[in-house]
Amino acid sequence: MFTRFEHFAATSMMGSSEEAPPREDGHLQFDRDWEKLVFGVAIALSKEGHFEWDEFRQALMHNIKSWESSHELDDTSWDYYQCWMDALEQAVVRAGILEAGEIESCLRRHLDCKGEITRNESPFVSITGNVQPSTA
Amino acid sequence: MTSLYPGFRYDADKEAISEARAKALESLLIEKGVITGKTVDQVLSYFDTEMGPFNGAKLVARAWVDPEFKKLLLEDCNAACEMLDLPNGMSGAEGEHMRIVENTADVHNVVVCTLCSCYPWPTLGLPPYWFKDPTFRARVVREPRVVLGEFGVQLSDSVNIRIWDSSAQIRWWVLPMRPEGTESLSEEELAKLLTPEAMMGVALVKAKSE
Repeated sequence: MFTRFEHFAATSMMGSSEEAPPREDGHLQFDRDWEKLVFGVAIALSKEGHFEWDEFRQALMHNIKSWESSHELDDTSWDYYQCWMDALEQAVVRAGILEAGEIESCLRRHLDCKGEITRNESPFVSITGNVQPSTA
Repeated sequence: MTSLYPGFRYDADKEAISEARAKALESLLIEKGVITGKTVDQVLSYFDTEMGPFNGAKLVARAWVDPEFKKLLLEDCNAACEMLDLPNGMSGAEGEHMRIVENTADVHNVVVCTLCSCYPWPTLGLPPYWFKDPTFRARVVREPRVVLGEFGVQLSDSVNIRIWDSSAQIRWWVLPMRPEGTESLSEEELAKLLTPEAMMGVALVKAKSE
């Protein structure tokens, strides 16, 4: 029984420690500003009906599982919100809200603005390549 | 996971890219009118204000200073929520099954739950990691004194321990004992001493927060 989508969305993720967002003292724990941004955007988009929340969760869990299968459990490079952001990009493309190419070129503009990152000639791989979570 | 952007190898780059990816996504969505600049803040403010341990803390602190309110809180948690002008959701559907049990010199209460939706989060916020652990739940039922000891809660043998299993019907939480030496504290100061753990029964409230 839920009256608020935010409540439903967060509660639905509390079933497993891997899937649940980091939290401390009853609060969501955000270490970086962009984490808040992708958290809020994912919930807002699903709340507005752009994609099913469960679809987003499946993508998130898929990303977490793939990370786990290719890293040691105590690997310190573990980054929950990185998996979240991947899932969000995938969900946005799948739902047809944005095209993968749009995201890439917008990202290029953002990175070019910063002007401090040296890229090799082909830093980007296609976002669409990651779109469909495997059913395995 | 295969990196989407294998050209970047350093942590600093990784951070800059993460930030840029999030901002790129947001700006495109705003540009297309899918979201507004306020969307993210609106979502986050729900978590900051509508639900969290601060709500439980307010209720407990008031109960400590006001015996009539305490009576009401124990008898009808929802009516008590309404009196404190807490967010609507708390006395509505989400919180309608909340019940609070009082710790005394003779009885110590601990809450557990098996389903994530049963946690009384309008008053306690999001559950901690260990709370969902089946081992924790099984052990706290079997050997509560030992488990509480591991949390740093030492109870004398004369104290009865009661375990409350939250369900979709009733979400239990705990009214902790007011610590000694807090007679001069205001209601607001008292509220600051409370933690989600204390309101789950796996911690005692300390006179000074450490």
